[in-house]
Amino acid sequence: MNADIHNGGPLIRIDEVSKIYHHDKPDEVRALQNISLELFPGEVVALTGPSGSGKSTLLSLIGCMARPTSGTIYLQERRISRLPEAFLARIRRESFGFVFQQYHLLRDVSVLDNLMFPLYPAALPFMVMRERALALLEKFTLSNKQKTKVRQLSGGEQQRVALARALMADPPIIIADEPTAHLDAELSSELLGILTELHAEGRTIIIASHDPVVYRSPLISRRIALRHGNLVDENQAAGAEQ
Amino acid sequence: MILHPGILALLLGSTLILLMLLVAGGVALRILRYWNADSGSATQLQLERQTWLVSTLLKYAFGFQIITLFLFLFTLEEIHPLFVGAMCATGSLNANLVGWLVLLVKIGLVFAAAFWLAINYLDQRTEDTPLVRFKYVTLLLLIPLVALDLWLQWEYFSGLRPQMITSCCGALFSAEGEGVISTLAGLPVEQAIPLFFAVVLLYAILLLASLRWRAMLLRNLLFVVSVLLFFVSLAALVSFLSLYIYQMPSHQCPFDMLQGHYYYIGYPIYLGLFMATLFAMLPGLCRPLATTPSLERELKRSEPTWLRLALFGLILFLVTSCWQMVFGPLILLGY
Amino acid sequence: MIFNFKLLEYSLSSLWRRKEKNIALIIVYALVIATLGSVLLLTHALKTEAVTTLTAAPEIVVQRTQGGRHELIPVTYAETIEGFPGVGKVIPRVWGYYYDSLVKANLTLIGIEGYQEQLELLEGRFPQSPDECVIGSGVAAAFGPQIGDLLVLEDSSKRRSEFRVTGVFHAASNLLTNDLVVLQEAALREFFAMPDGLATDLTVQVYNSREISTIAKKIAYFLPDSRPITREELLHTYDSLFNWRSGMMLAVFASALMAFLILAWDRATGISAEEKREIGILKALGWETSHVLGAKLREALLISLTAFIAGLLLAWLHVFVLGAPLLVPLLKGWSVLFPTFDLPRVVDLYQLTVLACVTILPYLACTLIPAWKAASSDPDDVMRG
Repeated sequence: MNADIHNGGPLIRIDEVSKIYHHDKPDEVRALQNISLELFPGEVVALTGPSGSGKSTLLSLIGCMARPTSGTIYLQERRISRLPEAFLARIRRESFGFVFQQYHLLRDVSVLDNLMFPLYPAALPFMVMRERALALLEKFTLSNKQKTKVRQLSGGEQQRVALARALMADPPIIIADEPTAHLDAELSSELLGILTELHAEGRTIIIASHDPVVYRSPLISRRIALRHGNLVDENQAAGAEQ
Repeated sequence: MILHPGILALLLGSTLILLMLLVAGGVALRILRYWNADSGSATQLQLERQTWLVSTLLKYAFGFQIITLFLFLFTLEEIHPLFVGAMCATGSLNANLVGWLVLLVKIGLVFAAAFWLAINYLDQRTEDTPLVRFKYVTLLLLIPLVALDLWLQWEYFSGLRPQMITSCCGALFSAEGEGVISTLAGLPVEQAIPLFFAVVLLYAILLLASLRWRAMLLRNLLFVVSVLLFFVSLAALVSFLSLYIYQMPSHQCPFDMLQGHYYYIGYPIYLGLFMATLFAMLPGLCRPLATTPSLERELKRSEPTWLRLALFGLILFLVTSCWQMVFGPLILLGY
Repeated sequence: MIFNFKLLEYSLSSLWRRKEKNIALIIVYALVIATLGSVLLLTHALKTEAVTTLTAAPEIVVQRTQGGRHELIPVTYAETIEGFPGVGKVIPRVWGYYYDSLVKANLTLIGIEGYQEQLELLEGRFPQSPDECVIGSGVAAAFGPQIGDLLVLEDSSKRRSEFRVTGVFHAASNLLTNDLVVLQEAALREFFAMPDGLATDLTVQVYNSREISTIAKKIAYFLPDSRPITREELLHTYDSLFNWRSGMMLAVFASALMAFLILAWDRATGISAEEKREIGILKALGWETSHVLGAKLREALLISLTAFIAGLLLAWLHVFVLGAPLLVPLLKGWSVLFPTFDLPRVVDLYQLTVLACVTILPYLACTLIPAWKAASSDPDDVMRG
């Protein structure tokens, strides 16, 4: 697996982080307020909370897609919150695998290309990338669809493509935003099965979801609740959801 | 005169370069004013994005500048029949002496832009971009130089009168003429050749030593010697190398070798020389700027590549310019 | 290197996915390049033609002026000039213009004695008696006569003269002979009513080409009412003329280029929602701004190069296969009797470089800022949107 997970300390440390959108403007939004959090290697963390609670923002910050307005974020004790964009992109590319709520696949592009394009900047030879992509497609039983354009696939197939894409860089951390939002029960449990497998391989998984099937699953090792941009006591949250 | 298509293309090219630099300069001013690396504010993010715009504008300007330099030389060659007595590009330059200044400024700009891009490259690979202020101040200094280039070209081309009687390289680059260039051309071959190769040898020693040891002194010496190499090589080209290339004891023009009938051999020659000079100057130039550990790291990583590129340039230059001297039928020594 | 190849592959894929827009852009771009390219190709071909013609011209032509106007030159001047060292033969020439009001064409009538070495025949032979003539192919086409027929011309006193055509020209350069009618000198003198001791001009042969200007100066000094014209000066004049015309046309068509650039800018800024989304996704997954920029700029370069090649081909076809029907009236000017000669198919590297600079560089510059704007999008928006 691609990472040097160091033993002991937290994988990700979030220190007094706030995120404000449109700062000092009439439509200012305080998405997160003074959050502090530690995530350890091998955990499967579920972020829960009503919509607008800041789950997606927290995921963005953890996944190096946005920078906090104040506070610091550490990845393996390396301060990443003030890194220039190029460095953040590289970390995203190498350390994280993303599964978005809307999949965010390139609709007019073939399945194979959807897997390969995002990894083009990586220093991997083209043929190596291709082999890896084909292996992943086989794992997710999509080999016969490699040349099909994504818009011609079913919802379940698209989801598998999104998952395969997330695994292309063999990342140690998987981030999933409402992965079961468009799935029925059967597909949801299939997804959880896949995530369990990935966890067994040693990856850290962070899932934002308000689907009880997910956050009540035995896979989850920790639940973190958010409300109005603040962390809420986990037990309280557990009580409220019930 | 100005309505010649090549001249129009040149003026257009230089105008584009100036416009690009002006846009870059505007952004540079904003960056200089508001840059705060520690802030996560929206303004800072915007400024960071704008640094990419400046980088790209400068890369384009550099590329365009090289193209216009060669187009300039090409055009000089193309228009020389309009001047009485002109046999090649040199004649065109002599028809209006501002032309020599244009050439000088263009070459200077190519070097200046290359330096800026090298420093920018180093800086962008660091996490803390410590050279932001330095970069953008020097960028602003490039602008007047580019404006000068455009203005001088205008002065040159508008000052040309066809039918002017001018001297060609035969008169300029011959031993009987007057001026610096003729003096260079008139250098006795028995002295010019050893001088040239002595400088080349010194340069090569310093270059290889710099690859092996990391001493600052070596790099400073290398910087000085590469500048020396540049000028000595140009003198050598005029003084004797061109004679071998053209296989004629009196043809000393440095521009003709860029033409098709000499198989465009001038291009690898000048490219090699340029590479050998530029890449050997970079370590000496960048060392004093490496004031933070991040920059030192990047510099340490890039230096061997630069030095190797300089070595490649030197070999390219020597092989293409001296080939005829070693293997050609013309014999000058003992002449 | 591998990365560059991958980026290039992505750029190609991206261009192809938006092919309707891109093909339309390439077509317009190629047309603009074809227009400018036609101008450059045509002027260069004409210039080459003219230079080829002039290499056969005499080193010096001496005319006589009075009050700034051209006058007939005494044949005795030839003896004076022949006396100068370095001068070979000095031959008086008799020639003049003839305007035919019916065909509305300007012909040039020349006496054979001054020109014999320069001309090649198509078929037939040179005139051997005063009532014979040789005509250029343009004259044959306009007036109709073939070998054996009669050419009828009216002289200054409205007298009809008939000449039997004994040959039709096919010279190395049609530019020279197209509108020519060659007669014997005596016949021509009679036609123009030119007295014996005078000629239209004198051709001077100079042995050493480096002496030409010296001798020209001597002629002007010793024969103050004469005007010596050297071959060099003629070449310069042609050169300047074509340069000027070509440059002027380029300047005129610059407006077409400007309009195109505005279109290009507009198209580049009007990036589609789908494309924005694609860039956002790629950036969210790890593409840096510089990578996206690199891809977009490669797209611009691919478009430029494709349009350039297409435009150049079109220009080549237009000028060399079709004869440049759209441009030629603007460039050639003066004579109605228009030479339909084969343009020499010369394309030189310099012309191509100039064309590339004028058409590709502005396009690249123009698409830079829109490309950067597109590349600078915020990946966070994708996550939130």
